[in-house]
Amino acid sequence: MDSESFEGSFRVSDESPEAEYGDDGVDLTLIRWMLSLTPAERLQVLQQNVRSIEKLRGRFSNR
Amino acid sequence: MADSPTVDFTGILQALLSNQVDFVVVGGVSAVLNGAPISTFDLDIVHSRAPDNIERLLQALEELNARYRQRPNQRPDRGHLSSSGHQLLSTRSGPLDVLGTIGRGLGYEELVTCSVEHEVSGEMKIRVLNLDTLIEIKEELDSEKDRAVLPILRRALKTIQDSNK
Repeated sequence: MDSESFEGSFRVSDESPEAEYGDDGVDLTLIRWMLSLTPAERLQVLQQNVRSIEKLRGRFSNR
Repeated sequence: MADSPTVDFTGILQALLSNQVDFVVVGGVSAVLNGAPISTFDLDIVHSRAPDNIERLLQALEELNARYRQRPNQRPDRGHLSSSGHQLLSTRSGPLDVLGTIGRGLGYEELVTCSVEHEVSGEMKIRVLNLDTLIEIKEELDSEKDRAVLPILRRALKTIQDSNK
């Protein structure tokens, strides 16, 4: 499958509620997922992301 | 920064709330709380610069062992917190930016009217800048960092608006 047909099979119109990306390249699935969470859950996701990156930094800096 | 404490935004917010500090969460954390999928490593707040609130904030910062990120031996004082300037601090729970004003001189009194209350942990409720105002401020600032995140903020706002139709 070439890249054009690959994209064509997944990307649908920006206006569609099923669109995965906006015409500006923003991942709409992530936005829908974040909006499905409560603010408390969103904060937890952010803290987990930051801690994961901190762990990775620690791992690499110890090499 | 002398050390790298584990980032605990909830812990910082808890210290501010337990000392009854009047503040609005702005910046990246406000974007996340409003549903924008971005990442950030510090918590930005704009505080009321009323004298009694400065005292409560000083107490909270003491509990958090807050010090300047670039000058670890210096703690923020009343003068710093009464100014419109930005105090970039390191705390035991991670980086905290305490901002007198943001954008075109917007302080707590202006921003609190553009905020929404969110429950972030148990019964912990905080005032968070709304997405419309955050976008306006970032558009005005027009820095490269702000431009990079604007498409995501606009998309999140549009998705919220569409879902409310």
